[in-house]
Amino acid sequence: MVKEIERAGIPVVHICTVTPISMTVGANRIVPAIAIPHPLGNPALTPEEEKVLRRKIVEKALTALTTEVDKQTIFE
Amino acid sequence: MKLELGYIDINNIEFSSESKVENGTLYVNQDAITKMILEDENIKSVKLDIAHPGDSVRITPVKDVIQPRVKVEGPGGIFPGVISKVDTVGSGKTNALRGCAVVTAGKIVGFQEGIIDMTGPGAQYTPFSKLHNLVVVCEPVDGLLQHDYERSVRMAGLKTATYLGELGKAITPDETKVFETPSLKEGMKLYPDLPRVVYVQMLQSQGLLHDTYVYGVDAKRTLSTMIYPTELMDGAIISGNCVSACDKNTTYHHLNNPVVQDMFAQHGKTLNFVGVIITNENVYLADKQRSSDWTAKLCELLGVDGAIVSQEGFGNPDTDLIMNCKKIEGKGVKTVIITDEYAGQNGKSQSLADADPAATAVVTGGNANQVIVLPKLDKVIGTLDYVDKIAGGHEGSLAADGTITAELQVITGATNELGFNCLSAR
Repeated sequence: MVKEIERAGIPVVHICTVTPISMTVGANRIVPAIAIPHPLGNPALTPEEEKVLRRKIVEKALTALTTEVDKQTIFE
Repeated sequence: MKLELGYIDINNIEFSSESKVENGTLYVNQDAITKMILEDENIKSVKLDIAHPGDSVRITPVKDVIQPRVKVEGPGGIFPGVISKVDTVGSGKTNALRGCAVVTAGKIVGFQEGIIDMTGPGAQYTPFSKLHNLVVVCEPVDGLLQHDYERSVRMAGLKTATYLGELGKAITPDETKVFETPSLKEGMKLYPDLPRVVYVQMLQSQGLLHDTYVYGVDAKRTLSTMIYPTELMDGAIISGNCVSACDKNTTYHHLNNPVVQDMFAQHGKTLNFVGVIITNENVYLADKQRSSDWTAKLCELLGVDGAIVSQEGFGNPDTDLIMNCKKIEGKGVKTVIITDEYAGQNGKSQSLADADPAATAVVTGGNANQVIVLPKLDKVIGTLDYVDKIAGGHEGSLAADGTITAELQVITGATNELGFNCLSAR
C-alpha cells in the first residue's frame, strides 16, 4: 500500500514495529512503532502517559512526511 | 550428557476400570483422569474420547498434542518446572509411549487452533492421524479469562500425559536408543575432521496466547541460551501456544524434534552435533535484535562451522528468522533455515515477510495458504462451532453438508517448520 500510494505521487510515512520488513518492502519514510500487538500505544502505561506517547509518534510521522529524503530513512 | 530413550509401542487405547499398559494396549481409567483434571476449579467439565487411525473422526479445535513419557532413572522428572520439580533433566533413562498421544480440545481459547482428521484427505496432512489419541475435551467455567483458560487446558494435557507416562515406568521398552552429547572439549577431540554444527531452535514467544515455556520459564522473558538436546526429550520445552495450527510446535514436536533426531543420526558420521541454542520470537524490535545478536554471538563463541535454524509460526517471526540467518552467516558460519510459506492460494506471492541474500539455503514445510477440501466425517470430537473462525478458515468454510473448504493452515502440524510433517514435492 505504501508503494502504491507513493506511485500516485503522494508521500507516505510507514509507522511500523518491524522496521527491517519496512526496509525490505521499500518504504522511504519509516517511523518505528511500539510493538506488534500495540503499534501505536502501550497498555503498560497510564492513559495520560499513553496519550503523550501517541502524540509523539504522530508528530514524528508528520515531521517525517515533510522532510526531504534521498534514500530509505528510519526516523528514530 | 547421555540419555537412554526407551520406546514402548502402543497399538491400541481402551477405556477400562484400571489404567495400565499391557501387550501394546493402553488401558485408561476415565474416572481417575477426569477427577485429576477437575481438581482445577477453572474447568467446569471434561470429557475423554478415543480416536484411532482410520476412524471417521474429526478432532477440533485442537490445542496441544503430547506424548506420554516417564523418567525411569536419573535426576528430575518429565516436564521440569511445570509438572515435575525444576531439576535438570536429559540424562539417565526415559520411557516413551510410542504410537499414542494426548490431544487437548474443547471450546476455543484463541482463534488459531487446529483440526486433526483421522481419515480421508485431511489425515494425510497431519502426522497425528497415525496415532491412537486420547482426546481431553475441557469446558471452562463461565466468565473465565482466555489466558487462565489456556493455562488450565495446557496443564490438563500435561497432567494427563504424565499420568499415562507413569504406566510405562516398569515396562520393558520395545526399542531403546541412546543419545549422548559430549562436552565441547571432548566433542572436538572425538571428531576432529567433521564439521561442527549447532541447532538453533526459535521458540514462539509473541505473548497473547502465543507462548512457549522452558523449564517453566516464559520464553519471551529469556535471553538466547544453550540446552542439551536430550533435555528436550524429557519435556524441558512445552507449548502454550494458540498460534496457527499448521506451523506451531506442539509439545509432541518438542519431545520428538526431528532436527535433533536427524542431527544425532548424523553425529560422528557426517557432522559433529554440538548442541542446541534456543532463542525467542518477541514482539518488540529491540528484543528481536538482542536475541538474534545473542544467537550469532553464541555461534561465534562455540566456533561452529554450521548452524541449522528452525522457525515457529509466521509473519513477524520471519524477521527473527532472517536476522538470525544474516547475523550467523555474518560470523562466517554456514546457515540453513527451516521455515514454511504463505505464498497465497495460488502460490505466487512472496513466501516470507522478510528476506535477505544471506538466506541461500532454505528448507520449506510447504505453502500454508493452499486450499484443501475435507469431506464430512461421521464423528466430531470437540465442536465444529469455530471452523469458520480459526486461522485458515473463512466465513462459509463449513458447508451445510459438513464439508470444510479452508487453507491448509487449519490442520495441526501440516507445514511444521521442524520438518515433522507429511508434505513433499514428490
